[in-house]
Amino acid sequence: MKPSLDAYVMLSAALFAIGFLGVLVRRNTLVIYMCLELMLVAATLALVAFSRFNGTEDGDVFVFFILTVAAAEVAVGLAIIVALFRARRTVEVDRLDSMRH
Amino acid sequence: MDQIAFISLSVFSLACALGVVLSKNTVNGAMCLLLCLAGIAGLFVQLHAYFLAFILVWVYAGAVVALFLFIIMLLDMQGGQPWRFRLVQALAGFMSAALLLAGLGLLAVRGRLGAGPPAGHAAVGSSLKLYAYQLFTTYLLPVQVMGFLLLIAMLGVIVISRRMGEAEDPR
Amino acid sequence: MTPLNTALFVLIAPLASAALITLFLGRRGEIASAVSVITAALVACGAFSLAFGGARFNAAWEWLRFGSFAVSIGFKFDDLAALMLSVVGVIGLCVHVYSLGYMSDDAGKARYFGGLSIFMFSMIGIVLADNLFMMFIFWDLVGFSSYFLINHWRERKSASDAAKKAFVVNRVGDFGFLLGIILCYRVNGTVSLSALGADHAVYSRLVPLLLFCGAVGKSAQLPLQVWLPDAMEGPTPVSALIHAATMVAAGIYMLCRINVLMVPQAQDVIAWVGTLTSLYAALCAVTQRDIKKVLAYSTLSQLGYMVAAFGMGSVGAAMFHLTTHAFFKALLFLGAGSVILGCHHEQDIFRMGGLRGRMPVTFWTFTVAVAAIVGLPGLAGFFSKDAILVLAFESNRAVFAVLAFTAILTAFYMLRLWKIVFLGAPQGEPARHAHEGSISLTAPLVLLAALSAVGGYWRAYPKAFEGVFSQIPEAEGATHVIVLVTSIIVLAVGAGTALAFYAVDGRDTLEGKSRSVFGLLVALRTSFDTAYDYYVAEVQQRTAMVLNFLDVVGLAGIVVRGLAGATEFVGFGVRALHTGRLNNYVYWFLGGVVVLWAYAAGIL
Repeated sequence: MKPSLDAYVMLSAALFAIGFLGVLVRRNTLVIYMCLELMLVAATLALVAFSRFNGTEDGDVFVFFILTVAAAEVAVGLAIIVALFRARRTVEVDRLDSMRH
Repeated sequence: MDQIAFISLSVFSLACALGVVLSKNTVNGAMCLLLCLAGIAGLFVQLHAYFLAFILVWVYAGAVVALFLFIIMLLDMQGGQPWRFRLVQALAGFMSAALLLAGLGLLAVRGRLGAGPPAGHAAVGSSLKLYAYQLFTTYLLPVQVMGFLLLIAMLGVIVISRRMGEAEDPR
Repeated sequence: MTPLNTALFVLIAPLASAALITLFLGRRGEIASAVSVITAALVACGAFSLAFGGARFNAAWEWLRFGSFAVSIGFKFDDLAALMLSVVGVIGLCVHVYSLGYMSDDAGKARYFGGLSIFMFSMIGIVLADNLFMMFIFWDLVGFSSYFLINHWRERKSASDAAKKAFVVNRVGDFGFLLGIILCYRVNGTVSLSALGADHAVYSRLVPLLLFCGAVGKSAQLPLQVWLPDAMEGPTPVSALIHAATMVAAGIYMLCRINVLMVPQAQDVIAWVGTLTSLYAALCAVTQRDIKKVLAYSTLSQLGYMVAAFGMGSVGAAMFHLTTHAFFKALLFLGAGSVILGCHHEQDIFRMGGLRGRMPVTFWTFTVAVAAIVGLPGLAGFFSKDAILVLAFESNRAVFAVLAFTAILTAFYMLRLWKIVFLGAPQGEPARHAHEGSISLTAPLVLLAALSAVGGYWRAYPKAFEGVFSQIPEAEGATHVIVLVTSIIVLAVGAGTALAFYAVDGRDTLEGKSRSVFGLLVALRTSFDTAYDYYVAEVQQRTAMVLNFLDVVGLAGIVVRGLAGATEFVGFGVRALHTGRLNNYVYWFLGGVVVLWAYAAGIL
C-alpha cells in the first residue's frame, strides 16, 4: 500500500515547521541559514509529491528551478555573511543589530 | 513495503532535521543537514523522481552543504559559543512552529487530498529524456532566466567578497 | 457741463486734492492749504450750480457683480441731496477759509488740509449716494477722516485716545448698520434707494431699527454718544466742520433717505432715543468748564432734536433744523476757536471773561449764534425749533414736554457760557491780552452770522429745496399760539435764570452754591464712560482672555501641535519596532502570514 498524498504533505509540513523553529530559536547566522535551506527542501518535497499524485510535470520542473535558485542564493548569502564577519567579527544575530532605530 | 520505506525514511529525515536545529556544534549541524538531504532524496526516489533525487544529492548535498562547511571552517566556529538557553525565546519559537504546523496540517486535512493512489502513468521525473524534453521546450524561458541569475549571483559574490581595503582603492 | 459731470466733479475734486497733497505736498504747507481751499471753493460753486440749476437726476454704474448680486455706484440727486450738498459746500468753504488763519503756524498743516479734503470727498459721497452699500462705503470713509483729523496733534496721548474711541464707538454703530443693509437686501432684494422708494418696500420692524444703529453711532445718540465730547481734542475748525455741522448730521441725512422703510414702531423708538439724548446732553452741558465741550454737548442735544423730529414723522422738520443748526453751530465753534486762539490756546471758560471789549467781531457773531440756538424769535433757530415743537405737540405730548424742558436747559447753559466768556472782567492773564484774529478768521464768522440770522425764513429759500421744505409742519390756530407762547416762556426762563445766577468770578457758581446738584450732574456725565469702562475691562477682557486661552491651548496646542505630537507618537511607536534583530523580524513576518492566512481562510 502506497503512502497517501496526505502523508507526504504532512511530512513536508513537519519539516517546514522544524526548519522554522530553527530560524526562530538559533542565534548563529549560519545555522539559521541551514534551517532556511531545510525549509526549502521541505517545499520541494511537497511539490514533487503533488506532481506525482496529479500526474503533471510542473511540480518536478519547478523543483529544478528551486534548486538552482537555492544554490545561487546560498552562494551570495554566504558571501554576505563572510563580509559581515569581516566587518563585525561576529555572526551572532543578537549582536548584529546596528540597524536599530 | 512502500509504507515501511516511507515511514523509516521520514523518521530519519525528521530526526536529522531536529539534529540540525538542536545541535550545539555547527559542523555537526551541517552533517545532520547532509543526512536529512539524503533521506529526502530517498523519498524522491520513492516518488519516482529519480533525476531530482540525483540533483538533490549532487547539487544540494554536494555543493551547497560543502560550501556551508567551507564557510564554517573559514569563520572558525566549530566549537561554537555556549548555547545560552532563553526560555521565552524558546517557548515563543516552539509555539510559532506549532502554529505553523497546525495551519499546514489543517490545510492538508481540509483540502481532502485523499488517500487515492498516485496517477497511473509514469511521472515525468522518472525519465531523464522526458524531463529534459520538457525543460527545453515548455520551460525554456525559465531556464534561460536561471542562467542569467546564476551569472549575476556569481558577479555578486565576487563583488561582495572583495576585502574592504580593496574597495577603497582609487583606480 | 452737464449736471452729471458737475456732480462727478464735485465728488472727485476733493479726492484729487487729497491725493495731490499726500503724494507731493507733504512738506509744503502753504501750497497744500491753497490747493485745499481752492478745491473747497470749487466744490461750493459746483454744489450751488447743481442745487439752484434745477437739475434733478439719478445715475448709476455697476461696479461689482457676484452672480445675481451687484454693487453699483451712483448718484441720486433730488431736493434732499441738493439741500445737504449746499449745506456741506457752504460750511466746508467757511471752515477751509477759517483754517487758513487758525492753522497758519501749525507744523502739520499739509496733513490737516489733506484730511479736510478727504473728509469733503467722503461726505459728498454720502450725500450723493444712491444705494445703501455705496453710502456705507463712504460712511466708513467719513469715520476714517474723523479719526485722522481728531488725531491731528498726534503727539498728545489724549488726542490719539479720543480718535480711537471715536472710531471704535462708530464701528459699533456701523455693525448694526451693516446688519440692517444686509437684512434690507435680503428682505427687499435691493438696496438702491430709488428702487426702494418706487416699489413700496416690504415693511419690517427690524430693518429700520438696525439702520438706525448706524445713525446712533454716527450722530452720537444714546448710548453711543460717548465719543463726541472726547472728539473735541481735534482742532476747532475740525470740530466745527465734522462734529457739528456735517458728519454728525450724516446720520440724520441717512435717516431721511431711508424714510420709505420706516414703520410706526421703529419711529417711536427713534423719537424717544432722540428725545432722551437731547435731555441727557443738555443736563451734562450745564457743568462743563471747557468751552468746546459745552458746545459738543449742545450739538448732541440738538442732534437729539433732529432725531426726535424725524421719529415723529417729519423729514422736513428734521432737515430744516439740520440746516439752521449747521449754520449756528458752525458759527459757535468757529467763534470759540477765535476765542481760544485769542486767549493763546486757553479753553477753560473760567479763565476767560470780559472778551466783549477785546474781540468785538467775535463777540457780536457769537451773540447772534447764541440767540439763534436758544430760539430768539426772528432768528433761524427759532423757526426750526418751533417747527419741531409744533410737531411734538401734535403727535406726542410727553415728547413735547421733555423737549420744552430741554429748551429751557439749552437756554440756560448757552447763556451761562456767553456770560462767563464775554461779559464781566477778565479772569486770567491770557484773557487780558486777548485780541481779534485775522480776516480769514473773521470773514467766515460774519458770513455764518448772516446765515444764522436769515436762515429761518424758509419760504425765502429758492424753489430748489421745495421737496424738503414743503414738508415742514405749519401750525395754525390754537396750536400755533400755544407753541409760540411756550417757546418764549422757555427762552425767558432759561436765559433769565442763567444771567441772574451766574457771576463771572473765575469759578462755577453752581458748584459753589449747591454741591449735590453739581455732583449729580457730573456723575450723570461720567456714568456712561464708567459703564463702558467696566464692560470692556470686566466682560470683554475676560471673554477675550477665555478665547485667547482656547486659541492657545485648543487650536495651537491641541490641534496644531497635538496633531504633530500624535504623528510623532505614532512614529515613536513604529520606530520601536526597528530592533535590528533578525528574530523579531521573523516573528513579525509570521504575524503577517497569519493575518493573510486568516483573510484567505475567510476568518478575517
